[in-house]
Amino acid sequence: MNYQFDFNFLSGNFGLLWDGLKVTLQLALVSNIVGLVLGFGLCLLTLSRWFFLRWPAQLFIEFFRCTPVLLQIVWFFYCVPMLFDVFIDPITMGVLALGLNLTAFNAEAYRAGVQAVPHEHLDASVALGLRPWQSTLYVILPQALRSAVPVLMTNGISILQQSALVAIVAVGDLMYVGKSIATEAYRPLETYSLIALIYFALSLPIAQFVQWLERRQDTALAR
Amino acid sequence: MKASNLAAVPPRPLHACEKHNGEFIQLRDVYKSYGENLVVMDHLDLDMRADDRLVIIGPSGSGKSSLLRVMMGLESIQGGTIRFQGKPYIDGNARGKGKPMDNTLQTQVGMVFQHYTLFPHLSVLGNLILAPMKVHGLSKAQATEKARALLARLGLESKLNVYPSQLSGGQKQRVAIARALMLEPKLMLFDEVTSALDPEMVIEVQNVMLQLAEQKMAMIIVTHDMHFARHIATRVVFCANGKVVEQGHPDQLFTQPREPRTREFLEKVLHLD
Repeated sequence: MNYQFDFNFLSGNFGLLWDGLKVTLQLALVSNIVGLVLGFGLCLLTLSRWFFLRWPAQLFIEFFRCTPVLLQIVWFFYCVPMLFDVFIDPITMGVLALGLNLTAFNAEAYRAGVQAVPHEHLDASVALGLRPWQSTLYVILPQALRSAVPVLMTNGISILQQSALVAIVAVGDLMYVGKSIATEAYRPLETYSLIALIYFALSLPIAQFVQWLERRQDTALAR
Repeated sequence: MKASNLAAVPPRPLHACEKHNGEFIQLRDVYKSYGENLVVMDHLDLDMRADDRLVIIGPSGSGKSSLLRVMMGLESIQGGTIRFQGKPYIDGNARGKGKPMDNTLQTQVGMVFQHYTLFPHLSVLGNLILAPMKVHGLSKAQATEKARALLARLGLESKLNVYPSQLSGGQKQRVAIARALMLEPKLMLFDEVTSALDPEMVIEVQNVMLQLAEQKMAMIIVTHDMHFARHIATRVVFCANGKVVEQGHPDQLFTQPREPRTREFLEKVLHLD
């Protein structure tokens, strides 16, 4: 390969990259907050004894799990304004699409956590005289959350990666800024490598932390 | 162990088995089935006195565990009535659910299960004080003091701040018994509590149960350990197909069973031991 690497051109673009990074972090953070909160509510709906609550919740989850994220983003960006006659700024729209996608996946993580709690623990709660809400609060939830946390964090990292897809609808995130710089400077190799490194550096510590958490839980919960 | 070996256990007083008119617990015509085919309590009548230690034996699916689960309020009955301490406790004929209708009475029943049911996210102390604080409204200090005293009695005081995953199977079951005792139950239910344990740990759990027996705790015990059954019971009840086939003092029932069905069962299990 006869290619002369040149990273000097990037020095003039640090401001732009920083702005892009801020948008990316904003997208990832807010989507995660949306996903963690709504995902929990959605999980409760899927565990409901009433069909009319369970069924729409399940449909919501399947819709987001069975269509590409890219399509979901594009659909929200183009179709929501047309259907509801509203204008929402691109970042909010991105957060909405990513956040709802994460809601669906997190609901499943919470649900798996709840279902991993042995049924005998419910029996024991009744035997101890705890009321249903007390056994949910003090026995089921703490255990469910512990086993759900690693999956929730992994989902959180994936949404950080997938946030790059909003570049397609001209949201000025890290990916979008990178694309503009690469095109302007005709230096895709240096630019995209740097962008990749930034995503990598953001995700790796969280991924390592998840692995550490999982190892710790395996020993703590060994029965 | 063979039947002849069991005769070596010293005879126990016969007072408890002679009288069956218990005021402590009365089951009358209790009916429970799973679907149409599996009847686990078939118009069952059973009485228990406050100083009784009832051991229920019988083949699998004979309704032994169901009886305990019904008494604890974990499952409902579809017919008959149960009185507890002279008060109506469960009414299977009522339009409700055939579950305990009196919360206060229900909290006077404690239960220990076959599988370890200690909550893994709480320490031993956390497991012990949860219900006393949330159900009986004890302060943390009061509950902790009580837990300390109870664990000391069971030789587990050093395990106060340990998590269940760090305990042996026998220790887990002893803590589970302690957790149930924290609520000062009038009746303790033991559902095959030693079945999942290694042999050397069985004894330590059985010793705790014997300690409770000495303190005159009323108990209903479901077990497959006939030797222990004979040792701890004031009355043994043999159930099959949801009915009480025979009941009596352990010495009588294990050595001279009246019913052929009981004899057949005992021959099977005692020879297998």
